[in-house]
Amino acid sequence: MADDRAEYVLEMLGIYKSFPGVQALDDVSLHVRPGKVHALMGENGAGKSTLMKCLFGIYREDGGEIILKGRLAKFHSAKDALEAGVSMIHQELSNVPERSVRENIWLGREPLHRFGPITFLNHGKMHRDTAALMKRLEMNIDPADRMGGLSISKQQACEIAKAVSYEASIVVMDEPSSSLTETETEHLFRIIRDLTARGVAVIYISHKMSEIFQIADDVSVMRDGKMLGTWPASELDEDKLIKLMVGRDNTQRFPTVDSEIGELRLEVRGLTSAESRSFKDVSFDLRRGEILGIGGLVGAQRTELVEAIFGLRKTSCGEILVNGKRAVIRSPRDAIRHGIGLITEDRRGSGIFPLLSVTENTAVASLGSYIRGGLLLEHRRIEAEARRFNEQLRTKTPSMWTQIQNLSGGNQQKVLVSRWLMTLPEILIMDEPTRGIDVGAKFEIYTIMAELARNGKSIIMVSSEMHELLGMSHRVMVLCAGRHTGTLEGPEASQENVMRLATQFE
Amino acid sequence: MAANAVGALARKKGIAAFLGKNTNLVTFVVLATILGVMTRGRSFEWPSVRNLMIAESVRAFAALGVGMIIITRGIDLSIGYVVCLVASVSASFAQTPDYMAALYPGMDFPIYLPFIAGILTGGLFGFFNGVLVAYGKLPAFIATLGTMSIARGAQLIYTKAAVVGSVKDAYKVLAQGSVGPIPNLALYVVVAAAIVWFLLRHTRRGTNFYAIGGNPVAARVSGINVEKELVVVYTFAGLLYGIAGCLLSGRLGLANALTANGMELDAIAAVTVGGISQAGGVGTVGGMIIGVLTLGIINYGMTYLGVDSYYQLLVKGFIILVAVYFYIRKYSQR
Repeated sequence: MADDRAEYVLEMLGIYKSFPGVQALDDVSLHVRPGKVHALMGENGAGKSTLMKCLFGIYREDGGEIILKGRLAKFHSAKDALEAGVSMIHQELSNVPERSVRENIWLGREPLHRFGPITFLNHGKMHRDTAALMKRLEMNIDPADRMGGLSISKQQACEIAKAVSYEASIVVMDEPSSSLTETETEHLFRIIRDLTARGVAVIYISHKMSEIFQIADDVSVMRDGKMLGTWPASELDEDKLIKLMVGRDNTQRFPTVDSEIGELRLEVRGLTSAESRSFKDVSFDLRRGEILGIGGLVGAQRTELVEAIFGLRKTSCGEILVNGKRAVIRSPRDAIRHGIGLITEDRRGSGIFPLLSVTENTAVASLGSYIRGGLLLEHRRIEAEARRFNEQLRTKTPSMWTQIQNLSGGNQQKVLVSRWLMTLPEILIMDEPTRGIDVGAKFEIYTIMAELARNGKSIIMVSSEMHELLGMSHRVMVLCAGRHTGTLEGPEASQENVMRLATQFE
Repeated sequence: MAANAVGALARKKGIAAFLGKNTNLVTFVVLATILGVMTRGRSFEWPSVRNLMIAESVRAFAALGVGMIIITRGIDLSIGYVVCLVASVSASFAQTPDYMAALYPGMDFPIYLPFIAGILTGGLFGFFNGVLVAYGKLPAFIATLGTMSIARGAQLIYTKAAVVGSVKDAYKVLAQGSVGPIPNLALYVVVAAAIVWFLLRHTRRGTNFYAIGGNPVAARVSGINVEKELVVVYTFAGLLYGIAGCLLSGRLGLANALTANGMELDAIAAVTVGGISQAGGVGTVGGMIIGVLTLGIINYGMTYLGVDSYYQLLVKGFIILVAVYFYIRKYSQR
């Protein structure tokens, strides 16, 4: 037993963490050996990032113990974790773009000159240390450069350099290669091998299977907030790994989607984003009464694609046809005019008007249809219609004049669906329609979707939940890093196939 | 507002809920009562009330304008100098023809010209602010800080830093006259407030203003042309400042470089006390007017009680800070 302890540099034992409505981590344990690369695998939302955030002091676990180098660790903030020798490269870039590379790297722990009680920045040391660090890591980056002026992959390299500079005994890398080219990834692997040779443990999160088998010693797989186990990488192959990641039982119920699929309603041809790292050359069709699911991993550019169709993002080429006619969509207003509605993934950020009432939140996109004499809003008709749609969807609210922020997530979502139904759309795009709402409300949203399809509406559903994607869609279209890697239908639409297409990196 | 208030009282929610919902009205009534007691009822007599109305009317126009802007999550610092410029322009077209120091000596312009010139000037500055904020994507604070300086410069150049005086009686009477016991100025405010109320409450545009202030991203997703609506709100506010400037030059019978100085702060303070949240998306016309009256009775009351004018500023500042402290808690988005 005592020997066991010495074998691991980090042990996370029986970690629990819940968020309102979700058990994000359920009795998760992880054992990490020093000087090894430990891959952490799982689908979107399996709990990988949550687990790492608990380790890093960003979240407080509800239960369980973290043992670092044989001692119980309690981190209250990222600062505690860093001081204890845990550093992390976050999935999202987290730098200060307007400051220099060296300032970014030493942020919060800048070398100082001291004159008694007076301290000020030691710019010279900061510069020399950064230059030495870059040299050691063979990175060709000037410490004085402005961070925001560097390419994304160089910024990512700086994040890696920063994580290394803490001289930590554990380095967590959450999708560090997502914006790196193949050569840059090779470089990253050299850095990782150098770190492990010094006895550092690296926890590596990535969806790129080939990388895992190239670099990892141990592989842990998570699913639905639970840890399935840890295997030596040599005992696994890609098929086994995919089966482990997706092979869960479907405990969720879905209503039967028995709508009749009719004529062609939306055609997207070769749509390419104006942004360089976004979606490219995406084509697909959508028919009357059809629910088309769009699957993919974080960073697959699904949201970017549907927002471009809705006129929120610019495209550089490609065309959109609605009912066989070419549609020019430059703004959401154009999209609404063509009968398209969008329920965004970020309900709070771009969906609700928190301080406005349920009525106002429902009617805001269709006020133009309720004006008398070219000026006067018909409040009574507006309220009646808003009420009718919300009653249809069984929105639970104390009154139509309650502020929407006082409703539950599921009911807010129903109000947003009502908002778009009130614009009488033919095509409804739903981006993560059940994110952050409880199980009962989810089923209601699914029932609404099936009902809408039965009434001849066409639905595009972006979803990160595999079962939702397979359970609700007639067809599933999969994106990977902005490319359309395939569309699955019927028995082909299996979890394994979706995951295979979602990880089909170039 | 009023219908809302009566409705709330009638319902079972009771008085506590009503008071919680109408903090601005409660503040006003409490302050007015305190003042009434301290002046032994003198402040409730008609001449006092009338003076208050005359003193606050011009500010009410500015408050209505900036109130709408704040609802859309904006701000306007240019008010004071824009009103000053408008007052100077309008006065210059209303000077008596035989006045030797007139800007246009010997010219007898028709009585409507000062209004047209003044209101257009205000509207133009508002439009300019709106374009800078909506299409130039400048922060409203900076954009209107710039136009504030431009208006200041324009006023000094136009008037050569001199007083624009000797305004015609026919012009002055529009601002100084009364209908029965009620001053014309108060009537104009009632009309303007009714129009703004109608706009905010009964038109699509008004709803759009609240939506933009409440969540600009969601407003865009809902198909609202955010840029256009912002230009409209700043322009409309500018037109209101234009009316304010014309009425001010009429009431004073002159305009100079000090006219309306600091009015932006008074107007912003008034609507803030009236419950228009700087975070946007909240506020009513009733609140704006109550805010103006509240600051009015604070000013008037302290003067009446003989408080030194320097101390008045101090007290006013504290009252505004306390009001904002409470409103921020009340309207925080959960």
